[in-house]
Amino acid sequence: MHIMEGFLPLNWCVFWYALSLPVVVYGACKMSGLMKNSRDVLPLLAVSGAFIFVLSSLKMPSVTGSCSHPTGTGIGAILFGPWITSLLSVIVLIYQAIFLAHGGLTTLGANTFSMGIVGPLAGFLVYKACMKRDVNMYVAVFLAATLADWLTYIVTSIQLALAFPAAVGGALASFEAFLAVFAITQVPLAIVEGVVSALLFKYIVQLRSDVLLKLNVASPSVLKKLKEACA
Amino acid sequence: MHDLLDDYAHSNALRETSARLKLLLGLGAILLCVSSSSPIAPLFIALTMSLATVRLAKIPARFYCTLLLIPSSFSILSAVVVAFMHGGGEQLFALNLLGIDLGIREEGGNLALLLIARTFGGMCSLFFIALTTPMLELFSIGKSLGLPDFLVELSMLMYRYIFVFLDQAARIHSAQVMRLGDAGFKSTLSSFSMLSSVLFLRSWEQGERLIVAMDCRCYDGKLDLMDQGERAKPAAIIAVAVYLIATAAIAVLTRNILIL
Repeated sequence: MHIMEGFLPLNWCVFWYALSLPVVVYGACKMSGLMKNSRDVLPLLAVSGAFIFVLSSLKMPSVTGSCSHPTGTGIGAILFGPWITSLLSVIVLIYQAIFLAHGGLTTLGANTFSMGIVGPLAGFLVYKACMKRDVNMYVAVFLAATLADWLTYIVTSIQLALAFPAAVGGALASFEAFLAVFAITQVPLAIVEGVVSALLFKYIVQLRSDVLLKLNVASPSVLKKLKEACA
Repeated sequence: MHDLLDDYAHSNALRETSARLKLLLGLGAILLCVSSSSPIAPLFIALTMSLATVRLAKIPARFYCTLLLIPSSFSILSAVVVAFMHGGGEQLFALNLLGIDLGIREEGGNLALLLIARTFGGMCSLFFIALTTPMLELFSIGKSLGLPDFLVELSMLMYRYIFVFLDQAARIHSAQVMRLGDAGFKSTLSSFSMLSSVLFLRSWEQGERLIVAMDCRCYDGKLDLMDQGERAKPAAIIAVAVYLIATAAIAVLTRNILIL
């Protein structure tokens, strides 16, 4: 659930835009640098962006029966790194606003910050830290995707709390209330997204592990071990 | 499988109107909504924008009503939190739940109403842009505003492949459902992961093929867009200007009016 159009007051819209813009511009610079080196980056990133969009618009199975959508950005961050994911998420968020009426244009800055920057960055760091310590890759993917999804909602709660601090207790009290509504209900969904992401990687390892090698997601020795475990 | 707003953008009655003008109208209304301090101007915007979408652009009213349900769940949930967290003014509603006193006071109630009104005003303006302006025209506006070429291209290619993959996802999903892939939570979970991984691999392969296809056509890092933009008619420009100024005036005049 993104922050809807019109929900944040103008000054907070501007604030989150100002915070997100440098990161997205950095992602764009990084990408244009990659494109100078190899020309096949653009089509591959374009289809990956479309994949993130489609993934985030699919209804995920959920325990409570209510439907929910994966954010897909944890997977994106593991595959393409956090900066390029932030750029892809901006475009995905614009499409979600215009095609599916999820999120909005004035709240784009705030949504980019939660879904496109904090979530992927945390997921990426967790994944890299796990891989360095030789944690099983599926476990690493699970942790990264779960955290990326859950942090997105925590940041959303912070954003809402800052914009609407409680009369008694200020932003902190209001943060607890938003946290109770958004973040706690999201825990099971974040775990489901983690499981789905780990299984997704399992299938990719089985079918096309060369893609993971090319994206520098895992070292050849790790992949070899995982493939042997499957066989 | 999906009701994409884009389908209507290509066939609505305002299709031939200048895209810039429609964008200006929608964005102007959104900004007025967000900066208004009383719920009256956003409600006025919600009403007039809905009328413009249903009457002028001839979007089916039934479909439009189902769209309005999308923002309601988020806005009502969040507005309730805001209503309970804000004190000040008279007590309007009190509830004792498990020893915790919950109450809505005047200030919180007003703020919650303002938020709901703003969300609906904003969403109606967003729906207006989404339902009347095809994405391709937004791309050419972006290009003329100086967005880097590769960003416009990236967005255009993504736009193209969204439809391809949505279609594939729908087909895989029905194939899974036919084989009882959705029986029980565990198999739903594994079906969903299988669907997304196949989708990723297919999209990757599609991307590899796209590179070859574009190379064959001498792709040199630039896709050209034909800007077939209609020029705005003077009468339409005046109408939009009058509307925005009138709405701004309403927002300023009603800034101190509270509902509760």
